[in-house]
Amino acid sequence: MLKVESLESGYGTMQVLWGTNLEVKRGTITTVLGPNGAGKSTLLNTIFGLVKPWGGKILLNGMDVTYYPPHKKVESGLTIVLEGRHLFPSMSVTENLILGAYTDRAMERLNETLELVYSLFPILKERSEQLAGTLSGGEQQMLAIARSLMTNPEIVLMDEPSQGLAPKLVMEVFDTISRLKDEGLTILLVEQNVFASLEISDYAYVLNEGRMILGGTIDEIKDSDEIKRVYLGI
Amino acid sequence: MPFFEQLAGNLVYGAILGSVYGLSTMGLSLIFGVLRIVNVGHGPFIMLGAFTAFWMFTLFGIAPVISISVALVLGLALGFVVFFAVIKRLINAPELSTLLATFAIGIFLEEVAKFIWGPDHRGYSWDIGSIDLSITLIPYSKILAFISSIVIAYLLYMWFQKTKLGAAVRAVVEDSEGAAACGINVGRIYALSFAIGIGLTVASGVLVTLFVPVGINPYMGHEYTLKAFVIAVLGGLASPWGAFYAGFIFGLIENGSYTLLGTIPGVEPFSLTRFVAFSLLLVILLIKPTGLLGGESK
Ligand SMILES: Nc1ncnc2c1ncn2[C@@H]1O[C@H](COP(=O)(O)OP(=O)(O)OP(=O)(O)O)[C@@H](O)[C@H]1O
Ligand SMILES: [Mg+2]
Repeated sequence: MLKVESLESGYGTMQVLWGTNLEVKRGTITTVLGPNGAGKSTLLNTIFGLVKPWGGKILLNGMDVTYYPPHKKVESGLTIVLEGRHLFPSMSVTENLILGAYTDRAMERLNETLELVYSLFPILKERSEQLAGTLSGGEQQMLAIARSLMTNPEIVLMDEPSQGLAPKLVMEVFDTISRLKDEGLTILLVEQNVFASLEISDYAYVLNEGRMILGGTIDEIKDSDEIKRVYLGI
Repeated sequence: MPFFEQLAGNLVYGAILGSVYGLSTMGLSLIFGVLRIVNVGHGPFIMLGAFTAFWMFTLFGIAPVISISVALVLGLALGFVVFFAVIKRLINAPELSTLLATFAIGIFLEEVAKFIWGPDHRGYSWDIGSIDLSITLIPYSKILAFISSIVIAYLLYMWFQKTKLGAAVRAVVEDSEGAAACGINVGRIYALSFAIGIGLTVASGVLVTLFVPVGINPYMGHEYTLKAFVIAVLGGLASPWGAFYAGFIFGLIENGSYTLLGTIPGVEPFSLTRFVAFSLLLVILLIKPTGLLGGESK
């Protein structure tokens, strides 16, 4: 459902992505692994449109969306959970969620989505009047995911959703992500947490210095020498 | 008791003038809050509002309170033009570029105004009587200015809090990337906020004409740029409401200090009020760099 072909982008004159390829199949979880500074966030932000593509193609359901600005991506069913959450800290949990349903696409199903979100994250219902900035780290991450669901997406890009969380909460976040897949959502995940993310993924890629050096089904990836050597230490 | 009567009278006047100061700074704070751009060409937009009021009154006999809406519409239109012609290209530019560009816009407006209307002071008198508060005489025109400022600020507040577009502006202020992830067209919010900011500023210029005994001229804006900076910092820079309250505080301090300074022999109080105002700015910046009413600024 999402296809990225020879994508190039960067900041100023510094190129970060050097012809990156990627495919995400509907209803799957696809993970992008890679060392710090490999360009994982740049890849997601370029797909979403926060960073302008220099070249290459981004296809969403076969449609060329390469140069769509972010709000048009959201209207087309693609959204992102940014690295570092990017909530609206001095607004309440409810206000954050309602803003997630900003587009026409999302407004149509506002009540259903809100119900789904509250059933997935009961804690957010309890905290609905609390200011987002006063939530704990784990709750903030849940809210960031919940807000992305409010856009009524088909596919969600997630940039290190387990970052900075205690181990117990990390498991909770991964649990939530696989439940979202069960709800029919497609997910493109970027993670540092290799073991946990390979556990829930169907496909995985390895990005290094702006190029995909490996890609395949989860079993292929787990078996590859590269992964064994670099990440699993076997 | 003449001193206390005089002080009380000046404080009433300070509060009234302060409401206009507040309104004239809201646009500056709104633009800074949303776009993170400091509009150093702020004052000349106030000047344009003042000329709008002047010409509406002298050519058509239209009262300033009515001209406010004309100025607002003109300001909105001008705001969109300036945004798409200049500001749009500067959103992520280095600070120096935006400072130079807005400075240049200010000078450009002043020179165009001078070219069309000449450099001399002009004035008009809108006399609709006064109310006697026993301590002081307040013209109705100034009371109307006071009410207008509060009504405009309140309407803007309601728009921010109660409408979807208002919520989108607040979202962009808090986190523009987060807003984009919600599907908010951030570029459009930038354009709209800039236009509203300029609209408010030009509208406030109409009310300013009711408080300038020497009249208006193309360079009158400088004083208001300076005052607006003090007030904006006082109010926490990024918050239009903070700016509005801070305008009151500034008006009270300015006029209160006028009375107090007047008691010192050999001191010419008017020339010192500005000194007091900027000393205040320095002190605030030293104690609380995020502004008196501001929270943590990013
Ligand atoms: N906004 C930016 N401006 C300039 N350079 C940037 C910006 N964001 C990232 N970079 C640079 O681009 C390169 C790739 O960064 P990116 O954030 O995409 O890596 P990453 O794989 O997400 O790393 P991490 O695992 O630390 O999140 C790095 O060299 C980084 O310094
Ligand atoms: Mg990253």
